[in-house]
Parts: sequence; structure tokens; C-alpha cells
Amino acid sequence: MAWPGLGNSSPVPDGLQATLTLPFTPLMAIRARWAAVLAGLSLVLLPSALPWGNPGGPSLLPPARAEQPQGQEQSNKVLRIGAIPDQKPEKLNRLYPLVAAELERQLGVPVTYVPVVDYTAAVTAFRTGDLDLVWFGGLTGVQARLQKPGAQVLAQRDIDVAFHSIFIANTGSGLKQIRDVKGLTELKGKRFTFGSESSTSGRLMPQYFLAKGGVKLADFAGGAPGFSGSHDTTIALVQSGAYDAGVVNEQVWRTSLRDGRANRAKVAAIWRTPGYPDYHWIGQPNLDQRFGKGFSRKLQGAIISWRTTNPQQKQILTLFGAQQFSKATAASYKQIEQVGRQIGKIR
Amino acid sequence: MVAPALVLIPVLVLLPGLVHGGGVDLLKEFLQAAFSPSLDPLVLGSTVSGLGITVGIALLGWAASGLMGLALALASSRQIWSSCCGQTWPANLLRRLLAVPRSIHELLWGLLLLQLIGLQPAVAIAAIAIPYAALVARVLSDQIDALPSGALAALRCAGVAAPQALVTALGPPLLPGLLSYGGYRLECALRSATLLGVFGLGGLGTELKLCLQSLEFHELWTGLWLLLAVMLLLETGLAGLRRRWLMPRRLGLGGLTFTPLGPESGTGTRGKGQTALPDDLGRRGRELVLALVVLGPLLVWLARAMGVQPLALLHWQPLPNLGGSSWASVLALPWPQLVGSTLLLTLVAAGLAVGLAPLLLLVIAPWPWARPLLQLTWALARLWPPPLSALLLLLLLKPGLVTAALALGFHNLGILGRLLLEASDDYQAPAEIALQGAGVGPRLALFYGRFSGLARSYLAYGAYRSDVMLRESVVVGLVGAAGLGTQLLESLSSFAWDQLLGLLVVYALLTLVGEDLSDRARLRLLSPA
Repeated sequence: MAWPGLGNSSPVPDGLQATLTLPFTPLMAIRARWAAVLAGLSLVLLPSALPWGNPGGPSLLPPARAEQPQGQEQSNKVLRIGAIPDQKPEKLNRLYPLVAAELERQLGVPVTYVPVVDYTAAVTAFRTGDLDLVWFGGLTGVQARLQKPGAQVLAQRDIDVAFHSIFIANTGSGLKQIRDVKGLTELKGKRFTFGSESSTSGRLMPQYFLAKGGVKLADFAGGAPGFSGSHDTTIALVQSGAYDAGVVNEQVWRTSLRDGRANRAKVAAIWRTPGYPDYHWIGQPNLDQRFGKGFSRKLQGAIISWRTTNPQQKQILTLFGAQQFSKATAASYKQIEQVGRQIGKIR
Repeated sequence: MVAPALVLIPVLVLLPGLVHGGGVDLLKEFLQAAFSPSLDPLVLGSTVSGLGITVGIALLGWAASGLMGLALALASSRQIWSSCCGQTWPANLLRRLLAVPRSIHELLWGLLLLQLIGLQPAVAIAAIAIPYAALVARVLSDQIDALPSGALAALRCAGVAAPQALVTALGPPLLPGLLSYGGYRLECALRSATLLGVFGLGGLGTELKLCLQSLEFHELWTGLWLLLAVMLLLETGLAGLRRRWLMPRRLGLGGLTFTPLGPESGTGTRGKGQTALPDDLGRRGRELVLALVVLGPLLVWLARAMGVQPLALLHWQPLPNLGGSSWASVLALPWPQLVGSTLLLTLVAAGLAVGLAPLLLLVIAPWPWARPLLQLTWALARLWPPPLSALLLLLLLKPGLVTAALALGFHNLGILGRLLLEASDDYQAPAEIALQGAGVGPRLALFYGRFSGLARSYLAYGAYRSDVMLRESVVVGLVGAAGLGTQLLESLSSFAWDQLLGLLVVYALLTLVGEDLSDRARLRLLSPA
């Protein structure tokens, strides 16, 4: 592209003449000023160039942060936890700082919560080592482990052993309750939305059941389903009528019904899927090297020790919608991996 | 000039079929929230810090792109190569190479760098700096080469060495254009930084998206109003500086032309400063140096406060080899459909944006009170990242190509509308006054008297903007059925690097072809009739 009006405004010929007939002195004066500007410019750029090339080096400014090498050392000693953003940020921001505080108390190391904005970013941040312990969904967990060999599956909730998705429909769409997987054919020709592209309960398993029921993605109105990004958005969009139907995580659906965000007059559940394994905590392979021998075991122990009898832990468990956590193994997620490969989300 | 608005007809025909009444309640809630943004100190605090990060990313990305762009512009200028070495092929080669980083949208750079480098603040800055630097280089080198070479030739003949001669002959006439364009890029950088945030690269965009997704409209408006304030402040500040330093307006319609002494010797539209008074020149120089002296340390401080580590950019994390990559899966993508709907999306959005701006001005011409309202709407449109408009439109409209095009068109309407208004206010239109004197209505007078004179450069700018929209079509992938953008997000979430590469190549090719077409259209429009 070019800058119309600048690049293409053709210089007028009399301007040219103006230069040629100009006396020499003004040109000199301008040149001197121009040189002064250049000198000033280089003076300004000099200090700004310094810290960029040499982050630990001297600077004209008081350092706002610790010098880089030291900073890196420190960040090595902080346990950074994260989670896929499957729900309202307001809820995530309430829950995970509590988790961080509780783990910090139990483990005696500093713990911080690092929010991420989408599922893919959570997987990437785990691969690049920016997050140490992440609450993943079934699919994102498998993706993360495949990208980071040696990553450890630590724990899951009681409800994650057999998790369910709920197909929901706008009450004006004419969709009725569905009995079994075959009934999903009713959705053909309807406007349909999943949650996030990488959601297990909002996309992967529902797509698997849709395929079982004989529904291809191209069968939806417009030739493709939508991807709302999160379970809460799916509910809002189906309720508004933007989509005739959608599919959400059962736990979020129940919460929305309870707090009144989902209006029963406008949106209704039409089918509950069979159970499948979902969410789990995954830790980096190098936790023991960084935090001391046996740290991963200690971390796992801390998570599964949370009980509703402890007020702090009860708050966490309630927000997680669980009674307690239990140990989990990678083997439980074989089925998810298979479905992921079938659908092309894992390659 | 209003002809592109013809695209409105099919859109208006389709629109009633797309509306679903269900979202009216939500929309009402959204609009009401505009008057009662959340003032919760927690929300305000996180909004302000998010805004700080967005502004920081914008400023740093802009500064980095400016420096890199200036260096690259000098290196890709034919005139400079020919006066230094007597050859121009290195300049031509570099120009070709620079087309590649330019053709990829900053969002794609951001997502790619995120994969390679991880969650670093430097990623967002680099994502803005890379394509912007290539753009700045192209624009500036074009400007350098378009300058008359007389002064340079004269100096060279007088025996001045090449570097000194270049600085003396090209520096001063280049400066106004450089500053004006630099200011414009800063405005763009603020919009880009917000957009990158929407896709998780930090700052206010992230908060806006999360608020919208969870339908927290009061919190959303807190962020929007603050962002609007910053954007308007920046725009008026830059416009003020532009006037003070007598730089050309961006559409360059006012007859300010490039002469070796800069606009001072041109026939300025604003009455004052048509002659180069030494005092004025000195003042401008002093103020420029002062601005740079303030800017330098500010940038360093910002970089430190944000914990930016430029060295982190060199620390690449290799992409994991997930196996199973095969060209068959790339070829299996429905390419014709993807490309087709991307192009259609761009055309509809471009028609809407280019055509609606003058149309709306014509419609409101008789009512002076409607103008500030229109300006506010356009400011909001500019400010809103298109994916957010798309999400909001989904509350009212069914998903699909038209909805995506509306979101993209609305955003660009805000940008084009403002430019048109600025240019139109600057433009001396005796014809309009004459027409009005003759008793012609305000709309017709505006149309025949003012717009007819502006049409060529406006359409030329519209052609450039359409080419930007083609690149931007990637960001409305959220709405579904929107072509390459949707597929790109899907491939990214499957970590399918091979598909991703294929999509990037196709995007780059499309953009380059589009750029070439829009260049031709513009040259034809701008060539003397």
C-alpha cells in the first residue's frame, strides 16, 4: 500500500524551481537545524538503546524491577498456576486466587495465578513453561501432555470421572426433548453453536455424539456450527435466539439455572450425553527439580486433601462444584485422545 | 463516491431475515449500561491497569516500528541506493521481501509469536512492530523516491559527499510527511494493541472480551469509555501537533504538496504560515527535539514497568513435532469456498464502509445537531475491535457472512468517516457556497459542491482501506462461516502447523494481489483527470 496523498501527490514543478533559485544561506541554516535535530535524536536514542541491548546494565532511570537474571531466578521459585477460561472471568478470578493462597499455605512456596484468555493459549503457555500447574479440560490436557512429554496428570474432581454435556435449545426453535443419540438428527438444518473450539464438554464429546447420531458439522444451518468461546456465552446466545441450539458443560448449565442467568422460559435442556472423563490438574515435568525432590507428590497430596470441613477448602470445592479431588492417571484420558484424533483436534 | 453504498441494497434485503428478536432484551441491557458504567474500585483498577498495558504496547510497538521502518525505508529507497552506489537492484529486492511481513495481519504475527515464544509482553509489541515497520518502510521509501531529485543533484554536483547531500536535500522535505504519517501510525497502533488484547495478548482488549462474553455490560462500558477518552485525547493531540507543525493532512486534499522546503512553500490551505519564517522553523525544530527527549525515557520506563524483555524474543521454543503432518490434510481443506467467502466478506464490508460514510454525512447535512452524534458513533466504531462488534451483533442477528461483514464494515466506517470529515472541513469549496447561494438544498450543495472535489482522493483512500479490510477479515472468524479466518482459528486450536502454514501462505498471496489491485485503482484515481 502507499499513503495516498503523500506518496502519490506529485510534487509541483514550481517547487522544484524554488530550490534551484534559492540563495545558499537559508539552505545552510536549515541544514544546521536539521543536523541539530538529528543530534538530539541520536542523544535521545542512545540511553534508550542501552537497556534494550543490555537489560542488566546501567540505566539513566531507577530500575523499576529487579535485574533480569535475578528476576528469572525468582520466577523459577514461584509456582504459576493457570486454568482454561471455560467460565465467567469473574468466577475464575474469585476461585483461582483462593487456590493459589491455599496451595501457598500448604506447600510453603509462593504461588501466583496467571489468567489466560483462551484454551489454545493455556496449552501453549504450558508448553513454553509459562505455567507450572494448569486446570485443563480433557482435550486440552491431552494436547498439553502430547506437546510436553513427561507432564504429570495429578488430580481430578469426583464429577470428572463421568462428566456430562447438555444440549440446550431456544424454546422458540421448535426443538423438543431428545430420547437418545439418534434423536440428534433433529438438529440438522438448525443454527447450532459449540463453546470453545478446544472444549471437551462444549465441543469434542458433543461432536462425537452428533457423529454417532448421524449429524455432520456441514448439516447445520449455514454449513457450519458456531464457536461461542465459552459455556456462558453459548447459553446467552442460544437464549437470545442467535442460535437455535447449543451444547454446554452440565456443571455450568446447572449454575446458570440456579443463579437465574438462564431463563427457563427461553432456553431449555433437550438432552444429556452419556458420561466421559473430563477436567484434570496437570503439572510440569520439572517440578521436582525446581522445587525439591518429591514436590509433585506433595502437590498432588495437597490437592486431594481438600475437604469441605475446612472453611477455606470448602469455598474452593464449592466453586469447583465438587465434593473432593482424587488422584487421576493419564490412562483415564485414552478415550478422549482417541476421539480427539478421530475429530482431528489431536494429530 | 456514494456508489459503493449500493452494497447496502442486498444487505438490507437480507437483514430482516437475519434478525431474531430474542436479543432485544440483551441489547437494551447493553445500551442502558452505557449510562451506568461500573465504578467499582476493583473494576476501575483492573481497567486502568489494562489500559496502561494496551497504551504501553501501542507506544512501544509504534516506536520500534518507527525506528525499524525508517532504517528499512532508507535501505529500500531507490534514490538513496543510486546516489550512494549507483545501483538500484538492492532497493528493489528489499521492497519485494518487505511485502511478506506486511501482508500478514498483526494478529497473525501475534498468534504465531505466541506459539514460538510464549506469554511474553514483548510478543504483542513485536507483533505490532513487524508489520508496521514494513508498512512504514514502504510508505517512506515511496515518499523519498517521489521527492524531486533536483536539490540532491545540485548538491552532488557542487561536490558534497553522498550522505551529507542526502540528509540536506531529502531530510527537510521528508520531515512533515514523516511526522504526519507517524502520528497516524500511533493511532493505528492503539487500535491494534486493543485488538491483540481481544485475542489474549494482554491489556484492555482481554478484559473487554471477557466482559462481553460473560455479558457483564457495566464493566464493559467502564473499559469502553476509558478507551474512548484515551483515543480521542490521542487523536486531538496529534491533530493539534499536526496543525502546529504545519504538516500535511492525511488525505492530502488541501493542496499541500511536497516541495523541497516542505509544506511551508506550498500553497497551504490554512491562511497562516505559507511563507517559511525562520522563527517558525526554529520553533518546530526545538519542539521536535523536546518531544523526542521526553519520549525516549518514557519508552524506556514503560518497557521496564511492563517487564518487557526484548531478549526473550530470541529465545525460541521449537514447535513440537506432533507427527501426522501431511500435505493431504492441507489440500483437503475446502480452499475455493474459504477464499470465496473471505473475498465476498471483504467486498461487502468495504462497500459498506466506503459508501456509508459520505451517505451518512449527506443524510445529516441539514441538521447541525446530528453531527456530533455521528462523530461519537464513528469514534465508538473505530474504538471497537471488530470481533467484539461481531459478538454484539450476534445478540441481534443470525451468524454468517453478512453479520461478519457488518462488524468489519462498522469498524472501518469509523476510520473512513473521520478522514472524510476532516478532509471535507479542510476543503475550500466555493462551489458549495455558490450552489447554496443559488438556493440549492444543503444536501445537494454538499454533494455537488464539496464531495465532487473530494471524491477521487476519498475513493483512493477507500481502495487502500479495502486492502486493509482483506487483511482484517481474519479477526471476525468468531462469527462463523467467515472463510479463512474461521479455519485459521480452528487449525490453531488443533495445533495443525501444516494447515496453518498453508492458510498463512494463501492469506499472504491474497493480500498481495489485493494490494496490487488497490494500488492500481488508486493510481488511476489520483492521476490527473
